[in-house]
Amino acid sequence: MNYKPDESTLIAYLYGELNEKETKKLESYFQQHPEELAKLRGLDEVRGVMCHAQDKEVIAPPVFVDDAGVRPLWHSSYFRVSLGIAASILFILVAGRLLGPEINYSNGELRISFGKKAEQKVQQAGLTEEKVNELISSSLAKNNESLESARTENQKKLMQTLVDFNSKKMDALTKTVSQASQEQVRSFVSNLQDQNLKLMKDYFQLSTTDQKKYMENMLVDFSNYLQEQRKQDLQYVQSKVNSLEKNNNQFKQETEQILTSLISNPGKKKNNY
Amino acid sequence: MAETLLDIAMMHSDSLIARAREGDKNAQGKLVQLWYKRIYNFSYKFFFDHDLAMEVSQKTFISMHKNLAGLQEVARFKSWLYTIAVNYCREETRKKKASRSFSLHDLNPGEGEESYRWEESHHRNENPERQLRHAELSDLLQSCLMQLSHEQREVVIMKEYEGLKFREIAEALNISENTVKSRMYYGLDGLKKILEQKKITKETIGYEL
Repeated sequence: MNYKPDESTLIAYLYGELNEKETKKLESYFQQHPEELAKLRGLDEVRGVMCHAQDKEVIAPPVFVDDAGVRPLWHSSYFRVSLGIAASILFILVAGRLLGPEINYSNGELRISFGKKAEQKVQQAGLTEEKVNELISSSLAKNNESLESARTENQKKLMQTLVDFNSKKMDALTKTVSQASQEQVRSFVSNLQDQNLKLMKDYFQLSTTDQKKYMENMLVDFSNYLQEQRKQDLQYVQSKVNSLEKNNNQFKQETEQILTSLISNPGKKKNNY
Repeated sequence: MAETLLDIAMMHSDSLIARAREGDKNAQGKLVQLWYKRIYNFSYKFFFDHDLAMEVSQKTFISMHKNLAGLQEVARFKSWLYTIAVNYCREETRKKKASRSFSLHDLNPGEGEESYRWEESHHRNENPERQLRHAELSDLLQSCLMQLSHEQREVVIMKEYEGLKFREIAEALNISENTVKSRMYYGLDGLKKILEQKKITKETIGYEL
């Protein structure tokens, strides 16, 4: 009773591709659920409408039949590959003929060479370590000798060139001096004297003006000093005169007082002394 | 009558397929003549575009020519051919999405005898007005079909217009029969809703025609 067909069953029923047993089962389901049948009829109606979409007429394009079986031999891949290999081998052979390759294997060495065979120097067989040392030492001694001789020769050459250069320089200087005339010497000396004289004049002039200034300054200072000194002396004398005058006045007053007292009291004064 | 003969020839083309598979070029040519219209119409209904349908049809038959020798069973030729066509349709859809181009058929072609629909109509010897209405209705239904998803559209076209069995569709799309039926159910259900929106029913069609 819980049977509920899925979408695929419904569609299979719609297109009549459902088996008899399933069809009966579904029809009994539709009797109980008429709304499901109506829904399916709705889909069938859609089919009825959609079938009005017509086919378009189209003309099939012409078919060109190519005969693959009668392809020429040179179009086949096997022929091309074998032709390529043959061409490569031929190229190698021609190159070999022109370049003259030689392949040697001796003493663990593989040599591949092209062209003419290089002239190999015959290697001396009995070359011992001592001989090699002797050869090296003799070669070194020869080399040292040649270097020493070259060095001394170079040194000599250098000294010679230096002496030559200095003598040439000296010659040039003496030549220049000898070429100078007596008049030139005189004019040079007179110039020198004039310059000295001028220098001395300037010096003296400068020194006299300085001395003058100094003396003037000194005199001014001295006069100032004297004036000051005089002023001070005058003040001192004035003060002394003033004090003398003052003392004199005081003495005068005292004398007057004594005289007046003596005058006023002649008797008493006698007793008191 | 000619279409019926063509259908009969298609149904009984086993020996032709066998000969074509063995390299008989004439048999291969005949197979192209037999199946070209079907593959073109499948592609046309898938894209609603003549140029893309032609492109897919040509590619499908070139591929058929190259790979027919590898077909294991003659009985599976139909689903095998539709597999190739579907694959090319999907490829063209991807390209179309990438390039965002549109066909001249998308433009409004106008009405009457200058319309390409009138030119394309294979019944133009009949009543011209009636045939034009048929062509317009066909395009209207085609536009409804285009609103379905790719998966549902493939199944609906194969079942409704190409007449493939569910088993053959499942083989062509390399999916289970139940999945095919399920897509078919939801495809028809979707179409029902689209037709309802556009108010297209059996009655309105009968009135128009």
